[in-house]
Amino acid sequence: MTKLVNLWIKYYPVFLRGLGGTLALAGITVFFGSILGVLIAMMRMSKLRGLRGIAGVYTAVLRGTPILLQLYFFWLGLPKIVPVKLSDTTCIVVALVVNSSSYVSEIIRAGIGAVDKGQWEAARSIGLSESHVMRKVIMPQAIKNILPALGNEFIVMVKETSLASVFFVGELMTAYQSVQSTTFLAIQSLTIVGIIYLALTCVLSKCVSLFEGRLRVSD
Amino acid sequence: MTEQILRTEELCKSFGELQVLKGISLSVRRGEVVSVIGPSGSGKSTFLRCLNLLETPTSGKVFFEGVDITEKKKDIAKYRQRIGMVFQNFNVFPNMTVIENITLAPVLEKKIPRAQAEEEAEALLERVGLLDKRDEYPRKLSGGQKQRLAIVRALAMKPDVMLFDEPTSALDPEMVKEVLSVIGDLARSGMTILNVTHEMAFAREVSDRVLFIDEGVVQEEGPPDEIFTCPHNPRTIDFLSKVL
Repeated sequence: MTKLVNLWIKYYPVFLRGLGGTLALAGITVFFGSILGVLIAMMRMSKLRGLRGIAGVYTAVLRGTPILLQLYFFWLGLPKIVPVKLSDTTCIVVALVVNSSSYVSEIIRAGIGAVDKGQWEAARSIGLSESHVMRKVIMPQAIKNILPALGNEFIVMVKETSLASVFFVGELMTAYQSVQSTTFLAIQSLTIVGIIYLALTCVLSKCVSLFEGRLRVSD
Repeated sequence: MTEQILRTEELCKSFGELQVLKGISLSVRRGEVVSVIGPSGSGKSTFLRCLNLLETPTSGKVFFEGVDITEKKKDIAKYRQRIGMVFQNFNVFPNMTVIENITLAPVLEKKIPRAQAEEEAEALLERVGLLDKRDEYPRKLSGGQKQRLAIVRALAMKPDVMLFDEPTSALDPEMVKEVLSVIGDLARSGMTILNVTHEMAFAREVSDRVLFIDEGVVQEEGPPDEIFTCPHNPRTIDFLSKVL
């Protein structure tokens, strides 16, 4: 226990930097993942069969293969197809964004699908154009299903980014690796990192459920 | 004075293997009130929903003021603005206040200034006794009030025809009357109405014509007194004996 405390006192800047890295990585991933996810969701709901097919394959592949494999794939493959020099971090971020976009697109699709069919019909029956039906009637209702789920996706991403430590990109698990390799106190540093993850996800879950509650009140 | 406003020609609709409508031809004159009755699953709601293309007919045509609106290149939204519809489950927009529900389409699609749209909406709310609910959200309304709101929302577009799809079927019994009285007023004001209903007494009272649909075809049609007192088709007789 004293070892744990001493380790924290001595190395807390490293851990906190790691925490910052994790939050940044998860934040960037969910942000860009959402933008890409919206596009994928639009493709999946498109009238054009080809677009639907492409998006379907895209999500099936990304959801059906391990994320660690995808990280390796992008880490190895991306520098080969992109003419400019890419850092490891960039490759990993791109991989995480692409992975996240497949989950986000499903969240959006489910969120829109959960809006009562009668709302589409009513909106169409008063003569709204298809884009107004979507923007003015369906999306404002779907967003209430989507936002909490996106919050959860962020929490999942906080944990998933730990896989990036394989490539030493400076998040929380990387902090663990640095500390344990200088101190050889593996269990203690792992415990500290674990506590930070747990505290983080607990706080974030609480935020999401508070937010969810507020959305419900306004319903 | 006998201008046809809405006409269908051999309207058919199948869901997969199931043929729900087997060729319905109907013509409605401006100002006419037509009630559609029939057993559950007879296709009467599907028929109504084909008229504003919420369901795409498998074959057959729908003419609005002589224009075939089933043609692919037609902008159906423009026609839907003139064909109001009221649903069994109200389908009011829960995320908007009463007044926002009503002004949404006039402001967005008809480009009516918001102030004017609200003024017109208020007049309509007054007519159906909901003016005091102007700024409430629908969750605060009873079923009957929601349905009256749905009617007003449709009327705000100043439609030429109103389609009612079992407007009182989802209501508690004590709220049926308030909704029927609004529809009755509308019928007497000269609105063209197609009303799919299980309220036989109401159908008899307000309709100019009653259509009995069963198994996807019009089995019998005529003035309400004739249909309700001396039906000829054995199916009509059988159905009416069960519901009257």
